[in-house]
Amino acid sequence: MGNEAIILFLIAGFVFVFGAVLFSKLISPKWDTPRKWDPYECGVETIGPSWIQFKAHYYLIALLFLIFDVEIVFLIPWAVAFKHIDSALPFIEILIFFVVLGLGLLYALKKDAIDWD
Amino acid sequence: MTERIIFYILAFIMIVFSLMSVTSTKIIRSAIYLLGVLMATAGLYFLFNLNFLGAIQLTVYAGGIMVLIVIAILLTHHVGFGLPVPDKKHMILGWLAAMIGITISFFQFTTHTFKPKIGNLDDRVSKMGADMLHYGDGGFVLPFEVISILLLAGIIAAITIAKGGIPHLKKRLKSGQPTTVSSSTKKQ
Repeated sequence: MGNEAIILFLIAGFVFVFGAVLFSKLISPKWDTPRKWDPYECGVETIGPSWIQFKAHYYLIALLFLIFDVEIVFLIPWAVAFKHIDSALPFIEILIFFVVLGLGLLYALKKDAIDWD
Repeated sequence: MTERIIFYILAFIMIVFSLMSVTSTKIIRSAIYLLGVLMATAGLYFLFNLNFLGAIQLTVYAGGIMVLIVIAILLTHHVGFGLPVPDKKHMILGWLAAMIGITISFFQFTTHTFKPKIGNLDDRVSKMGADMLHYGDGGFVLPFEVISILLLAGIIAAITIAKGGIPHLKKRLKSGQPTTVSSSTKKQ
């Protein structure tokens, strides 16, 4: 793909996103009621503020997700190189890698870090 | 020429989004502007033909770290309200610090002679992987295995801290003193 294609892509992306926003702003009817600023919840009036404090547990799950996300970064080069090497060593190396991270997953399961309640 | 245009477009996006991220008084909007900066950085990597690095930038930074930041923001109380505008003294000090930073980096950029790198950077993922698994000279198999230990340490540390397993923090929790953990262990 040439660089001109990237510029075209950028322009098309900008036009699609900002054009749609601008167009809907231009043609939409405008009247303001306080009810309109309510957060939408299936037509039911909200009770209390809608910005609630989240459970801290989600943060832990996000952290674990991030760690396994980083693991994938190392998995991709391994998977690409694996085809070209004909020995058992890469397999053993990734096995060690997996066992160590598997221990981490086991620890997380044991400590109920991935529980939803 | 086209590369230059793309570079300037991306640089403009990065500058605008970073300024908006810093100046926005609503913290969740700051986070979303930061996401724009990270995406534009990934665009720069793709422009330099560093495809793997660009993909990593998208998955780890734009995907992983942003999720972490957004959840951390949602853990706090005052997401919906804007932050107060700082008073005059802090504003002047902030401007001063920013100006000093700009001056220092400007002088560094103008006095340092950048040597252009000639030839293509070998960024093929297959070569990267082969180097990573190679155990002889120039191989990185030991760092590769050590990384798994590092990630394991990260998992254990995250769980230990989040579960409030550190004794002196637990004691402080019981006595009702404010700790950084106390707000995060409270349920909604």
